[in-house]
Amino acid sequence: MNTPLAWYFAGPLIGLIVPLLLILREKQFGISSSYRFIGATLLPKIKYFNYSKEQDRWQIHFALGLILSGFAAFQLFGAFDKVVIQPVLDYEKAAVTIYDVKNGLQFFLGGILVGFGARYANGCTAGHCIMDVSQFATSSIIATVSFFVGGLIGSLFINPIIF
Amino acid sequence: MFKFIITLLLGFAFGLILLASQAFSWFRIQEMFHFQSFHMFGLLFSAIGTSAVFLFIIKRKKIKSAQGNQIEVKPKKLELKANIIGGLIFGLGWSISGACSAPVYILVGLHWQIGLILLAGAFTGTVIFGLLKGKNGLL
Repeated sequence: MNTPLAWYFAGPLIGLIVPLLLILREKQFGISSSYRFIGATLLPKIKYFNYSKEQDRWQIHFALGLILSGFAAFQLFGAFDKVVIQPVLDYEKAAVTIYDVKNGLQFFLGGILVGFGARYANGCTAGHCIMDVSQFATSSIIATVSFFVGGLIGSLFINPIIF
Repeated sequence: MFKFIITLLLGFAFGLILLASQAFSWFRIQEMFHFQSFHMFGLLFSAIGTSAVFLFIIKRKKIKSAQGNQIEVKPKKLELKANIIGGLIFGLGWSISGACSAPVYILVGLHWQIGLILLAGAFTGTVIFGLLKGKNGLL
């Protein structure tokens, strides 16, 4: 499992999910609204969560499929974090332990930014970068550029300090 | 039930692709932001290209859904400030956690401890947004 599936296979396969979701389920590709659905289920008193959540219920089913894929991979190949992917700068050492709970705080804070940012920007990598950039939507092109600028700052300047 | 299974299978397939291509991995994300490999860029661009071709065909040929309805595709509304600031915050989180929204779920299955921490984080972030969104003048 050290060699990834080549991008020219994996990329078009991901792209194929978009028409399949539209044709089979009449849904536009996206996943981060599932967090809002969970919010609407657990904390319906918050005004933002008081919305027509049924439109997003399918994303929970989609997320369930994602969880199952991770679980299946774990059953077949074990923990992927033991796989040392091409050395990234001086992260070779971290490769074995990055998904260790001792890094839990960093992952928790990163997760908060992901959840907050996805709602504020009205979409994430799925909905903005793939679904809507492929319709040449201005909002999504701007969001995608912003994702990358934020990511560059985090990866180049923040991660070396906190990891 | 049928709809549920279809959606579940599509999620499962999407997860397998992200796993096989290692796009779910913290290291691939760092590699991308350090411009050390074309892998992630090729992945994203070819996914967008493929999707664009199919969307074009669906609109052009007025293809109907499996339920027999006209497929409607609406792009997200432009919200300049939210797209930029929200995008920057999301990008920061993406690079720190090495996961965006879909890999968070994959990691729940693959690596439940970190996965659940990430999921709790992403949910907390969503709740914080929900609380602030209600306040006037904020966001």
